[in-house]
Amino acid sequence: MNPLLMSLLLIVGLGLFGRTMYHKILLLTALEPADRAGHIKERLKNMVILAIGQKRLVGRKKEWASGIMHALIFWGFCILLIRSLNLYGEGFIKGYQLPFFGDDYMLGYLYIALKDIMECIVLLMVIYAIFRRAVLKPERLHNTWEAYFVLAMIGVLMISDLLHDGARYNLIMLHNNPEQLHFFNNPRYGSEFLWTPVSVGAAALISGVSADASGNIMVSMFWLHIMTQLTFLNFLPLGKHFHVITSLPNVFFKNLGYPHEKPRLLDLEDESAWENESLGIKHIHQLNWKQGLDLYTCTECGRCKEVCPAYTTDKPLNLHDFNDKLKFELFDNADNIIKRAKLSATKKENGNTDLTDKIKAEKAELNSKKQLIGDVIAEETLWACTTCRACEEVCPVTIEHVPRIIAMRQGQTTMAEAYPKELNKALKGLERNGNPWGIGYDKRADWADGSGVKIMVDDADVEYLLWVGCAGSFDDRTKKVSTSLVKILQKADISFAILGVEEKCTGDFARRVGNEMLYQMMAKENIEILNNYKVKKIITACPHCFNTLKHEYPQMGGNYKVIHHTELIDQLVKTGKITLNKSLEGSLTYHDPCYLGRYNSVYDQPRSILQSISKDGLKELGRHGRESFCCGAGGGRMWMEETIGKRINLERAEEIVGRKIANVAVGCPFCLTMLEDGMKELNKEEEIKTQDIAELVAKNMA
Amino acid sequence: MAKVLVIADIKQGVLKGSTAELLSKAKSIGAETAVVAIGCNINMLIPNLVSAGSDTQYVADDPGLELFSAGPYASCVVDAAKKFDANLIWFGFSENSKALAPRVAARLDAACATEITDVMLSGDQIEVIRPAITNKVIQRVKVNTKKLVAVVRAGAFEATKGIAGTENVVKLSPPEQDLKALIKKILTDASGEIDLADADIVVSVGRGAKDLAGVNLVKELATDLKAGFGSSRAMVDAGLMAHNKQVGQTGKIVAPTLYVAIGISGAIQHLAGMNGSKVILAVNKDPEAPIFNVADYGIVGDLFEVVPILREEIKKIRH
Amino acid sequence: MKILTTVKKVVDVELNIHLKDGVIVEDGLQYVINAWDESAVEASVRLKENKGAETTLVSIGGGDNSDMIRRCYAMGIEKGIHIDDPALAKADSSIFAKVLQKVYEKGNYDLVITGKQAQDTDSGQTGIILAEYLGLPCVSNVIAIEVMDDKHIKVSRSGDDGTEIVELELPAVITVDVSINEPRLPQMRGIMMAKKKAIDVMDLAALGTSPDDVGCATPKSGIVEFMASKMRKAGKKFEGDAAEITAQVVNLLANEAKVL
Repeated sequence: MNPLLMSLLLIVGLGLFGRTMYHKILLLTALEPADRAGHIKERLKNMVILAIGQKRLVGRKKEWASGIMHALIFWGFCILLIRSLNLYGEGFIKGYQLPFFGDDYMLGYLYIALKDIMECIVLLMVIYAIFRRAVLKPERLHNTWEAYFVLAMIGVLMISDLLHDGARYNLIMLHNNPEQLHFFNNPRYGSEFLWTPVSVGAAALISGVSADASGNIMVSMFWLHIMTQLTFLNFLPLGKHFHVITSLPNVFFKNLGYPHEKPRLLDLEDESAWENESLGIKHIHQLNWKQGLDLYTCTECGRCKEVCPAYTTDKPLNLHDFNDKLKFELFDNADNIIKRAKLSATKKENGNTDLTDKIKAEKAELNSKKQLIGDVIAEETLWACTTCRACEEVCPVTIEHVPRIIAMRQGQTTMAEAYPKELNKALKGLERNGNPWGIGYDKRADWADGSGVKIMVDDADVEYLLWVGCAGSFDDRTKKVSTSLVKILQKADISFAILGVEEKCTGDFARRVGNEMLYQMMAKENIEILNNYKVKKIITACPHCFNTLKHEYPQMGGNYKVIHHTELIDQLVKTGKITLNKSLEGSLTYHDPCYLGRYNSVYDQPRSILQSISKDGLKELGRHGRESFCCGAGGGRMWMEETIGKRINLERAEEIVGRKIANVAVGCPFCLTMLEDGMKELNKEEEIKTQDIAELVAKNMA
Repeated sequence: MAKVLVIADIKQGVLKGSTAELLSKAKSIGAETAVVAIGCNINMLIPNLVSAGSDTQYVADDPGLELFSAGPYASCVVDAAKKFDANLIWFGFSENSKALAPRVAARLDAACATEITDVMLSGDQIEVIRPAITNKVIQRVKVNTKKLVAVVRAGAFEATKGIAGTENVVKLSPPEQDLKALIKKILTDASGEIDLADADIVVSVGRGAKDLAGVNLVKELATDLKAGFGSSRAMVDAGLMAHNKQVGQTGKIVAPTLYVAIGISGAIQHLAGMNGSKVILAVNKDPEAPIFNVADYGIVGDLFEVVPILREEIKKIRH
Repeated sequence: MKILTTVKKVVDVELNIHLKDGVIVEDGLQYVINAWDESAVEASVRLKENKGAETTLVSIGGGDNSDMIRRCYAMGIEKGIHIDDPALAKADSSIFAKVLQKVYEKGNYDLVITGKQAQDTDSGQTGIILAEYLGLPCVSNVIAIEVMDDKHIKVSRSGDDGTEIVELELPAVITVDVSINEPRLPQMRGIMMAKKKAIDVMDLAALGTSPDDVGCATPKSGIVEFMASKMRKAGKKFEGDAAEITAQVVNLLANEAKVL
């Protein structure tokens, strides 16, 4: 059409975009390393399912409408990319056709038909999106001018293309094609316009104008489309719509093998780490590049906060706001972060200590002037998280919120020594007696007195180690769960023993509150004992112990096959080792523990067991499975006061009461305590019995 | 013959029962008894000192002794002990006694034993029994000196009736003030509530009380008993009690003579804060509540019914 | 201001204590810093942080106490002295006080802070006897410290009738209650630095004294034997008519337990 103008637009548009992207990428490379290499196949698979397939958008029943809306806009956009390329070609060469997409090919026809209908669909979706934002106003959405602007631009893109094609149709069909415009007219497939009903419809809307006017409309719509697209491209990296570009790589680089990046094993002997304050995240430049990419990608859709137990009970933790604040802090410090990375590279090249000191001083100068915790993120925000992962499970672009929070807590605990001091008693208890209550370690096996349970020190020739956990050993209520589990194991003739007084807390809660040193101390001592007994298989009734033993002990040389008691009981039932009676009266529901469900994908086994004992079947709660609601005790919250907002366990207990349930089954000692406490608070502990699956099985076993 | 000097336990112008208990014990082992009373305007207590069982009364009555000050008070005790030539110097159980006994012992070059529950004499040989390691063990301690200064644990000895002694008052000259440790004032809790940490009786309220009305009901019991008023974590979480009232793992650790747990189930965190109490009374409607595993006395019942009766009964017994 | 803080390593009172033939069975026991002394350490460290005080701690006996002393370093104590001598095996409070007197006299301290008692003996004598030996003013059961000037501090003592406010002229001795503060949990930075610090370990001779000088040959008292104590267990639980059982229980509280 106008190669000169086209070239100019492309040079300016792409040049500016390239410059922005170069800086964004440079900033990422200046951040800390993250190992996201390899496993290309698995990564592609994730990308296809989650990003391209939009699984978390279309797959959520609760939000199918907006999910489909987004997916259609996204898919429409992908389809229209090809059309755009064609238009850019058109700018240079009249009648340009993309290879294989021309009128010689069936593909070309199919494509224009698809594009035609998609433009219509996208346009409808944009209208729905605007309606939804402006009229329906879902609570989770953060309404900004930016969102409307982008929707408007998408609308303009669709309308301009449709009008361009419509004007073109009118010129060709109504005005005898005065400019000899090219159109598909392969005799085998017929005229282009038979395939593009929407464009033809658009043409009808503007059929009343003259040939000249039609020509003008066509040309102006063409340039409007091109310019809008280039503007759009340049607008994307500036705000939340950057996700249009970064979602695919972000999902591609998602953590594999565990739902999110495991807490990093810190080298506690490394003194330079002290000086650099590089244990955990205390400064914005200590984010790794993937965490940076996460920030680029956050779309502010608000799904995270909608499912967040802290946010929904009025705690000052709003994850999309959290992301936003970090992102702006990252951008504000971008130049200094890049400079710092260059300095670090020089330091590595040069061993001279004087120089290193100088560099150190220079680096200190480059630190953000804001305290990451305090100025950017409020302390109470950081400590409100229960690490339940509900946010990560619903995030359409797989942002890993929790590891970042834990790393920041590490920074606060190990370096700033600023953490909720009510944790001290529990931490001290761990340090001295290996349990957060600080009860004498010598009483750890008292619960098993007279139960016939073997202790490893007496006889280590067993198939399984039963890892009892602190609650199962010391908490009067949870001891009943331990006793029930023992009954089941004995009935099924399982060969097992416990560590007795040699067992200590796995260190889970210490790690979640950022006390990496104490975690490592506990882990080291436990692993030494476990390896000394050559333990291969471990059963545990505590999902927190389960998760730590299974996923975190391997980091320190403890490799065991760990099984949660619900998985084992399920196996025992299926292999006929124990027989269950359908004898449980009253409605029954199951509360998924976060560290069993979302962290370890154990959803079916507990349900299968419960269905075998309940007369009335299993009634699901509104929030269950992947979107189950936390009890409020995870992430070390069990040992902190909950003074802001509504208490999380109460929120959950009310949900259960609202479902008119008689029995609540849980699979975690913390959930048991929290829910039972909630029931007591609501005065429902008589009507609604909260029990561990092991207790229910022991009572309903043949 | 043993000579026992008992330090009169005077609080706010009243002679406390422990004085008679200690004198009774002294008489029961056939000792010669004396008492030393220290304070300001305490002459009117002399008849009480006699009827408590003392045969000699050393009295240090001076305006400078109005407020407790360990140095001058110790000087009075040492003065009396020397005058009486006591070989056993006994204090009743109090914070002041614990401050005085080691000083007196050091000045007399005598052995000192605190919190004793019994004393055995055979000839010159003295032995005492006392708990240690947070009451987990009992020690039998041999005293190698001729003299022993001891603080007797509350309730260790019983007062016997009709052991009145004879009046033989010896005035002690007032000691010099300790200018290096000047007592300025004594603050009784401004709010009128008794501080949990040093209350003799603590009444704590738990989730069973449900709401503010329930809390107030239990608080009245605490007021009746002149007790510190604490709570379980649940009530603090529910916003019904102030944070500094929480007894337990993340709150205050208390060890009063009597701990009254009302509507508290006895979560392990709570028990960790109060299981050092001498006597525990629990009221809970759940007979299986863990609090009953540590309570010396348990009432299974609804606190809304039990607490008013409890108040009535306590009033009866105290009249 | 130079502060001397005393710390003692005691048996962890969370553990069950088993006895055999009148002595404590050591097997399975662990030893930790006395809780009251931990508060004394915390109080000293706060005076260091807020008032620039110099902090030294001293522990006596018990063999290798380096783990406990390093823990105190990690909390912020600057200097540690450990007096260990076989002659101190049967020492009583007076002997400990004599040893502390020697330590004090070598150091020119302004303030001695001790825990008000030790969890193993629950005696509560050493600090007060030390003050008597040194002829220094002393306040026990302190729950707050305020520095007035170089020569004076104001302390709150939890007394029988309320909180007593006492002005002390330095040098002085105070013994503190656990309610004075919540001791910090040493964190990594402190623990790392503590590893490198030296501990001044000496026997009585090195301290410039001798077992006889501090009275080791003639302790004023000695433990003959340990006996089992009654552990807390479920007492009497009453069910039935509220009025009846409540009256019964009140009667027992008054006449059996004698706590009313």
